[in-house]
Order: sequence, then structure tokens, then C-alpha cells
Amino acid sequence: MDPNLAAMQNLPGDQQQQLMQAIEQMQVRDSLRMYNSLVERCFRDCVSEFRSKDLNAGEEKCVQSCATKFMKHSARVGIRFGELSSEAESQMQAMMQQQQAGK
Amino acid sequence: MAQAGQPDPAAAIEMAKQEMDYRVNLFNAMVSSCYEKCIDKRYKDGELSVGENSCIDRCSSKYWQVTGIVGQMLGAQGGMQ
Repeated sequence: MDPNLAAMQNLPGDQQQQLMQAIEQMQVRDSLRMYNSLVERCFRDCVSEFRSKDLNAGEEKCVQSCATKFMKHSARVGIRFGELSSEAESQMQAMMQQQQAGK
Repeated sequence: MAQAGQPDPAAAIEMAKQEMDYRVNLFNAMVSSCYEKCIDKRYKDGELSVGENSCIDRCSSKYWQVTGIVGQMLGAQGGMQ
């Protein structure tokens, strides 16, 4: 289980709710930020000529690929991040247990 | 306010929020850095190649290790506040 989730459940009910709301707000803010940065990224990488006011077929395909690739990339990093996180957490716990045992 | 021996609940929430902020920022930075280093910007299609996938895995791992080293150095200088 995510260590943060575990720690969260030790808080009393109303504080849990407060924290849940804070998390939700952060997620919304983060989604919007990601949306904007993705738009900027794909525009920067795909659009460079302005002979017309409409995207041409190549630019459109480029933007679609760009967005798709970024989402897949982000998902994969998310998986690795989770793995690295839990690995670090269990290493910490093992270390702490060793220290306790050593006393 | 907090009773003797009891953790201050407001401080606990604040700490939890800061911890979460830190993790979110770390994740976003990892995504951004590894994207720059690993992804072919020609966007021939929407798929990640095998090479890109491997690069992402290794990049994430290395990024994490850098985080650890920098954290240790900052810690050795008297703790992050």
C-alpha cells in the first residue's frame, strides 16, 4: 500500500476529509497544468510555419502523435516512479528495523 | 492547540501536504527530464519504441538515484527544513 495512504488513515475522520479535498484540488490543478504544458510542447515541436491559419494534415498528425506519446511516456514513468518509491520505502523500513534490533 | 505528547494535527496535515507537493513535483520533473532525453521528437506515430521504453525505465531509475544523492548531501549539511 502506498505509505502515504497508510499514514493518512491514522488521522481522524475530519482531517482525512480535509486531506482528501486537498489532494483532489492538487490533482485538478496538476491536470490543468499538464494540459497546458502538453499543448505548449506539441505546438512547439509540431508547428513552425504560418502560411495558413489552419493546421495542415502533417501538423495535425504530428500533434496527435505528440500528445499520445507524451501520455504513454507519462504513464510509464508513473509506473517506474511507483516501483522506485515502494522499493525505497521498504529499504527504509528494513534499515529502521535493523537499527531497532541493534539496540 | 496540541496537548503534551500529542502531535499537532494541523502540523501533521501541513506536513502531509508538503510531502505530497514534493512527490508531485518530483514526478513531474522526472517526466519532463526523461521526455527530453528519451523521446524522438519526429513523432512518426503515437507509439513508444522499444528503445524509448528502455530509455524511460533507465532514466527514471537514474533520476531517482540522483534524487537520493542530492538528498543525502543536503541532509549532511544540516537537514532540509
